[in-house]
Amino acid sequence: MASAVHRFGELPPVDAPAHLGRPAPEPPSGAPCPEREPALLFSGVTHYYGDHRALDDLHLSVERGQTLALLGPNGAGKSTTISVLLGLVHPRFGHVEVLGRSPRDAVGSGRVGAMLQTGSGTGLPPGVRVVDVMRLVRRLYAHPAPLDVVVERAGITTLLYRRTDHLSGGQAQRVRFALAIAGDPEVVFLDEPTAAMDVEARRAFWKMIRALGDEGRTTVFATHHLSEADQVADRVVVMHHGQVVADGPGATLKAAVASRQVRFVADRADALVLNALEGVTDVQVRGTTVTLNCLDADASIRALVRSGVDFRDLEVTGAGLEEAFLALTSTAKRPEDERQP
Amino acid sequence: MNALVAFGRFEVGRLLRSWKFLVITVGFPVLFYMLFLRDHSSGKIVYAGVTWREYLMVSMCSFGALIAALNAGGSRVALERAGGWARQLRVTPLPAWSYVAVKMTASMLVVLPVVLLVELVAATFGGVSLPVGTWVGLSALLWVTALPFSTLGVLLGFAVSTEAVFPVVTGLLFVLAYFGGLFTPVSSMPGALQVAAHLLPNFHHLSLGLEVLSGRTLAASHWLVLAGYTVALGGLIVWRHHVEEARGVA
Ligand SMILES: Nc1ncnc2c1ncn2[C@@H]1O[C@H](COP(=O)(O)OP(=O)(O)OP(=O)(O)O)[C@@H](O)[C@H]1O
Ligand SMILES: [Mg+2]
Repeated sequence: MASAVHRFGELPPVDAPAHLGRPAPEPPSGAPCPEREPALLFSGVTHYYGDHRALDDLHLSVERGQTLALLGPNGAGKSTTISVLLGLVHPRFGHVEVLGRSPRDAVGSGRVGAMLQTGSGTGLPPGVRVVDVMRLVRRLYAHPAPLDVVVERAGITTLLYRRTDHLSGGQAQRVRFALAIAGDPEVVFLDEPTAAMDVEARRAFWKMIRALGDEGRTTVFATHHLSEADQVADRVVVMHHGQVVADGPGATLKAAVASRQVRFVADRADALVLNALEGVTDVQVRGTTVTLNCLDADASIRALVRSGVDFRDLEVTGAGLEEAFLALTSTAKRPEDERQP
Repeated sequence: MNALVAFGRFEVGRLLRSWKFLVITVGFPVLFYMLFLRDHSSGKIVYAGVTWREYLMVSMCSFGALIAALNAGGSRVALERAGGWARQLRVTPLPAWSYVAVKMTASMLVVLPVVLLVELVAATFGGVSLPVGTWVGLSALLWVTALPFSTLGVLLGFAVSTEAVFPVVTGLLFVLAYFGGLFTPVSSMPGALQVAAHLLPNFHHLSLGLEVLSGRTLAASHWLVLAGYTVALGGLIVWRHHVEEARGVA
């Protein structure tokens, strides 16, 4: 079938100066085009592990070619979401589609690639060389990407003839990334892809993720690196307790929370008193420097003045994504009825 | 199909390159054969015209098949699952059943050389001599009927955690071998143990081999029990798979 995704073979490696992807061809207007249906679709998905609700009536639709970051505190349901999209977990309720079919069919058709969160393991078979694993995985796909392109992109040229059980954590992670893109997939899922990478590797890595998006691939990645998510993703989805608590471009997200930081110096600051002030969501006291996160900075400052606290050097700033994230995940309280009916 | 073949070759190659596994798998039955051969008067008839050294050859083939299957399936599968490789394969186009199929095939492929090697040692050092046709028939029979052991091995890999898999494999190995009559003829055991032996797969695996040597017709009950074990253990693998999919730990 005609795919909007550029195949690896046509593309220069990631370091090439020219821009990587031509924009995806527009479908003729009016005609129904299967390429325009969302790449990923979640409707009303609820999943329980035992009686623990990991996904709670999740609705999500991801367009083709979109790069989406999944953020959320530990246990928010990011990995579960990715597992459902890969057909590793069958949710108890709701409907899931990947490229217009069931997740298992999509994976079976070879149009999906993934890098999973592996916990303590390497995610690789022990006792073989990296190149053996790469060759095997390429053979599992009908139309794999050329080996040299994948190897160069993942930055594993020097690791090819190493044994998989002799790799460092970050190196194993790069090899697993290579496995994720080896099949030249249209949709790529990456669960905390940079968790063990050093700063340099991480920077190169995010550049590559951008390249995947430029080629028209749909990319979903889970991460805890907020600023990077903001820079790399077209869209940031924040999850908490198995629900989507925010969804949009990083910038919109920050604005939506309208969170402000109020900073001042006070010689005798009582965090409890400050926390009770109107509009204050969080208080940090370091020595004599006090930082308030406020949903309504004006109201908070008025309240601060009324409270009689002796302060000086007042400063008000817009909060970063990190604060937006904290504000979102601390206000979204879990519903009382945790248990399954 | 290409994917399945590629994965099969990868797995078999990996198994054959892990020499520690091979040494243990081949070494134990051969070592035990040599030890037990000295222990008894090896020419004594222990089973309808079968001497102890012949009995021991068949029982050590069965023991070797069991070691190969439980280690190739059990320990290795459990480790791969804990390390995340099995999960990584699940997100490739490789169908879920092919992992099980290839693991079973690979462990069956290790069983064959183990059987042949024990026979070779028995022929060379144990003074066992048989017509060529009997050698071929015996080898083929002992190999094919090792299928329930491969199934058991893979099931252990799916059902037992990495911490538990080593003691479980070792324990099962000796329970199945001893009570199945691999170290001592079942006929010399107390009555209750003789009844118990009939419930264990190795007793029937062994009995088929002994019947070939004594020129008897092969009893249908042995085939039935071995087939029953294969189907039941295979069913448990399928069931485990479904449980894990619902739970999301697959
Ligand atoms: N196999 C499982 N069995 C039981 N509970 C599970 C299982 N996997 C996850 N959970 C629980 O489901 C919830 C969601 O887990 P999930 O792994 O999706 O979180 P996450 O957002 O990926 O977290 P992290 O950032 O720590 O990776 C957690 O509370 C977790 O404890
Ligand atoms: Mg996770």
